[in-house]
Amino acid sequence: MRALVIDDSRAMRRIVTGILTDLGYEVRDAGHGGEGLEVLNEGWAPDLATIDWNMPVMDGLQFVSAVRSNPAWRRMTMMMVTSESEHTQIVRALAAGAHEYMIKPFTADAFRDKLALLGLLPQEVAL
Amino acid sequence: MSTIDTGARRRTTDPRPVITDLIDGDTILSIAGDAWISLVGEDEVLVPLPGPLPGDILSSWVDVVGPWTGSVVLTTARATAEELSRALLRESAPEVLDDEDVADAFGEIANVVGGSVKAALPGPSALSLPQVGNAPLVRNPGDVCRVDVVWRGEPLTISVQGALPPLPVPSPTRENEVSL
Repeated sequence: MRALVIDDSRAMRRIVTGILTDLGYEVRDAGHGGEGLEVLNEGWAPDLATIDWNMPVMDGLQFVSAVRSNPAWRRMTMMMVTSESEHTQIVRALAAGAHEYMIKPFTADAFRDKLALLGLLPQEVAL
Repeated sequence: MSTIDTGARRRTTDPRPVITDLIDGDTILSIAGDAWISLVGEDEVLVPLPGPLPGDILSSWVDVVGPWTGSVVLTTARATAEELSRALLRESAPEVLDDEDVADAFGEIANVVGGSVKAALPGPSALSLPQVGNAPLVRNPGDVCRVDVVWRGEPLTISVQGALPPLPVPSPTRENEVSL
């Protein structure tokens, strides 16, 4: 399985990438939504994108909207991973097309539980 | 002619909330503790103890703009900020951390703590991108909630501080005078 990790913090990208790699994912990362779109435009098709909200250049919500407007990327599951925890923000993200929402701070176990809910744990891990 | 009461007059004269009306030190400590466990490590604890900060310090902060406007500021020794960054990056930390590595990691901790503080405040509020450097000045000493902690024996402060100067003290008006 493949995942695209989008966060302007290199530290957070390393943390999320570490969790996903341990679960068997092949991971690429991007520093903002625009870079994330570049990866997708290369034809690299992830099963999952984890997306920070507050980023320079192109924020997470703009990325989600851009992905949703392209039918070619419809199969990709999008999970916001962000410190934005107000209910209205969560509703906005889900309305824009995100599938799931993970609030920072989180533990590796909580992250794994979210992936299990989404049916995105690699089979050998889920067993 | 009737007048609709929009409440605008009341709102402009109401005192702004100060941070100590909205959040307390225990809540900030709990928020920071959760961030430390998640980002820095499961065994990493913050001990609520005051300790003098050294001369060479570094701050990271995010701004919150909403019904309450101010900053969530983490301040510690530059060397402690580097150690914190190394702990956060774990095995992916480079042998020599440059300023950008420290700004990124220390800033992300402020981002996560600030996001949780924002969630505890009345909203809606907006959160800025994290910044690292010299902390913003305290504009109103009455609008600060500060927690002093020790991490791995090193002092660190978490300050939630208003960005606005104190409101002027209202002068008594004839309307409020009571005749004896």
